Amino acid sequence: MVLLAVLRLDNRAIALDVLAELDGRAGRRVTRGTLYKTLDRLEAKGLIDWQVEDGGPERGGHPRRLFAVTPAGVRMLKTSRAALFRMWEGLESKLGRSAT
Amino acid sequence: MQTLLARCLSDDVHGRSILGDLHEALGSRYRERDPRAPIWYAWQAIRLVVLYGPRSLFSKFAAEGNPMTGLAQDAIYAFRSIRRDVRFFVFAALIIGLGVGANTAVFSVMSPLMLRPLPFESSDRLVWVAGSAEGGMSDMTSRTSNLRDYRERNRSFEALTGYNAFFDYGSYNLTGEGQPERLVGVDVAHDFLDVLGVRPLLGRTFLAEEGAWGASVVAILTHGFWTRRFAADPSIVGRSITLNNQPVEVIGVLPASFDFASTFTPASRVDFLRPFPISDETDRWGNTLSIVGRLRPGATVENAQADLDAIIQQLQQEQPDRWGLRAVVSGLQDHIVGRFRPAMSALAAAAAAVLLIACVNLSNLLLARAPKRQKEMAVRSALGAGRHRLVRQLLVESVMLALLGAVMGVFIALAVTRAVSGAGSIGIPMLHAVSINGTALLFTLGISSLAGILIGVLPSLQISDDRSGSVIREATRRTSESKRHTRLREILVVAEVALACVLLVSGGLLLRSFVSLLDVDLGFEPGRAMAWRVDTRRDFENHAARVAFYDQLTETVASVPGVEAVGLTDTTPLGRNRGWGVGAVGVVYERGERPGFFPRMVDWRYLETMGIPLLSGRYLNAYDTGDSAPVVVMNATAAERLFPGESAIGRSVEIWPRTWEVVGVVGDVRHAALEEASGLEIYMPITQQDDWGTQELIVRSSVPPETIIDGVRAALSAVDPSMPTGDYRTLDSIVNRAVSPRRFILVLLGGFAGTALLLAALGIYGVLSYTVTQRIPEIGIRMALGESSVQVLARVLGRTMALAGLGILLGALGSVIASRLIGSMLFGIGTTDPVTFSMVMAILLLAAALAGFLPARRAARTDPAIALQST
Repeated sequence: MVLLAVLRLDNRAIALDVLAELDGRAGRRVTRGTLYKTLDRLEAKGLIDWQVEDGGPERGGHPRRLFAVTPAGVRMLKTSRAALFRMWEGLESKLGRSAT
Repeated sequence: MQTLLARCLSDDVHGRSILGDLHEALGSRYRERDPRAPIWYAWQAIRLVVLYGPRSLFSKFAAEGNPMTGLAQDAIYAFRSIRRDVRFFVFAALIIGLGVGANTAVFSVMSPLMLRPLPFESSDRLVWVAGSAEGGMSDMTSRTSNLRDYRERNRSFEALTGYNAFFDYGSYNLTGEGQPERLVGVDVAHDFLDVLGVRPLLGRTFLAEEGAWGASVVAILTHGFWTRRFAADPSIVGRSITLNNQPVEVIGVLPASFDFASTFTPASRVDFLRPFPISDETDRWGNTLSIVGRLRPGATVENAQADLDAIIQQLQQEQPDRWGLRAVVSGLQDHIVGRFRPAMSALAAAAAAVLLIACVNLSNLLLARAPKRQKEMAVRSALGAGRHRLVRQLLVESVMLALLGAVMGVFIALAVTRAVSGAGSIGIPMLHAVSINGTALLFTLGISSLAGILIGVLPSLQISDDRSGSVIREATRRTSESKRHTRLREILVVAEVALACVLLVSGGLLLRSFVSLLDVDLGFEPGRAMAWRVDTRRDFENHAARVAFYDQLTETVASVPGVEAVGLTDTTPLGRNRGWGVGAVGVVYERGERPGFFPRMVDWRYLETMGIPLLSGRYLNAYDTGDSAPVVVMNATAAERLFPGESAIGRSVEIWPRTWEVVGVVGDVRHAALEEASGLEIYMPITQQDDWGTQELIVRSSVPPETIIDGVRAALSAVDPSMPTGDYRTLDSIVNRAVSPRRFILVLLGGFAGTALLLAALGIYGVLSYTVTQRIPEIGIRMALGESSVQVLARVLGRTMALAGLGILLGALGSVIASRLIGSMLFGIGTTDPVTFSMVMAILLLAAALAGFLPARRAARTDPAIALQST
């Protein structure tokens, strides 16, 4: 979900925006610490990377990290989506007509 | 918080971008005018510190050459061990928490009483000057002329002051400020607060001219009274309040840190201080003053004693007729807390014993887990860890366990100290200052660290001992525990039982003493009776008018439904005391040798209302008035003392300045304390006295006393609407208050003893249970070879009782020594009371049998076939 949130933010995501995206779109409230740990793990797996941007006075002069999904991350997402669709296939009748 | 967070995060883009994100989010909240923004920021920062802090801290310690590297690693490893087996460690921490909590609570109670100096400036220089070292209050107090002369002639004191020890005989009715209320005020010398070094919270202390006879009365309110009655209104200073229909200016308020009652007269209440004239007029009242002095720097108690002895000798030579010249000097703290030392020491020893039992218990549990850790220790050893390192790691684990227990212990201690500090009815001084402060927390840290080491030393030495490679190969096979391990654990169980025995015997002796005390014949009937303090501010034209008023009062109250009898006295038993010299007419007494009596001014109904039996002659009656011959009734001990072997009826006694005829002899009453015999008592008709003072109305009812309160209050108000009617208590509560210090010690000690019993039983259960589990294969073989279930049960239980028996034997020997230490606290029983010892032994044997029964039953139900498969 973090990777999807980063993609939705046009691959120029800062952590605050990822939190907002997860909360607003997916209804998932994630703690700041959990997000940072997740980003670190995804980075360690090579699924995201980041670029530094200078921070202004609104950040106390501290730099900003802009996260982006790597090609490996995109491949992983595609694989995962395909697997998900295969698992979902044929289950509509069991779960009812509502799609949401 | 930001600085702390910055230090926990890495000092690179990663860490600084996290800081920046938080900063940016805070900015957004401020723009949205979120009032909780700072709190939100602090909370987010705390969470990030918890997440990143430990790793950062330990990575610093992991730097090469840092001496804390190993300890830090041990701590991380210990934390992981605890996380792997949380349930066991929480249970273990709870056990330690009980022991640590008990010790912290006792430390906090003892601290203001015995460990910290009194809350006065340079309190080590404060001394108590008594009239004599023992006797009633009249013997221990001094005349005001003594204080005046000591002040003028001494060379050892920087200052001498005092307060009226009989302040409780006075009564002050507060009117004009809402509901009338009876207040308790203490008369103090004008420099009392200055000598103690107490600065008022508001206003000022007394001036010298305010201590003169006839000066306008001013008052300094106590903090508790000011808060309760005037809602801590600072504008009270400078205002007048109406006491006994007189305006009294409030010149100050005492700080909360100075509680006169808690320091000098525990379990009583004081509402204000007023100046007490040190003058010829007050000197005529006799021994009234409790004297407190501040020594000059460098002077000692011995110097001061010698100084006063010399002054007394001088005065006796100058004034041969002068009486009451006596002085005994002691440290003020010694005077206040000295008599509680044995009890506090007993409590401290008991708390330490509970902690020791808890440590032994846990040590045993850790030893039981030893085989599980041997593989782990063997691997670490094979990887290069020396024995020293393994021992250290296990000790760090046990210290962390103990510190976790300490956190729980602090909460237990907090609950206990809150209950104690709010208990104003316990007659132990300085309880108001009981709290968990920084010193108590440091103490907690210290003893829990020590406990951790104690818990861990044996298991760590045992576990780290077998590091041979063969353990790795055999680790997967179940083996019986070594005989050495079993022996060691059994020794620990015996030690636990012995300690529990000592605690139980001590608790049992105190309990039996307490029960004996409650069984003493008080000499009066406390049940279904109440004492009402009545004090009218009416001006009476003459003595007859006053007598008529009190007659009307008692008759009106007697007509309340449920009231059986009403009587009047100026003091109840177990309350205030004073002493007068009384002699038999015709007997010559040496100076100062006249027997000291405890006098009571009573109405003719009092003795019967109190249920004090008449032994010979008659009670006082309605004909004993101011116009009739002066008469008295005395108690049996007094009659025998003054008229040995003869009847006292019809004989005369001299109570200066008159003689009185003895018309009756009544039973003895324990008026000073339940532990003390009654002494010499004399009852004088109040109708034959000039000075009435505050009266106590004794009301006996045929129904529970609480049900007549409203009726009696209404009856009192009907006779005098301006008289406060809310100052009453049952006679039972008076008795309870008298035994409150003893009960307090007993409850705490009983709690410790109960905890010790539980821990000892758990210890037995733990050892037996584990031993049985380890010996299942052996038991299976025995049963396969013909041993029956009953024989197995008997063998296991027999082992249990043998361990318990040895522990009880050792404990009994220890109890004989320990009970001598609490000998002064016992009443009615000896230190080797056979009933107590027998009951404790029986309880411990029963507990051991119960604790051992379940493992024994499990052993007896062993299926030999299954047991043999496990070999």
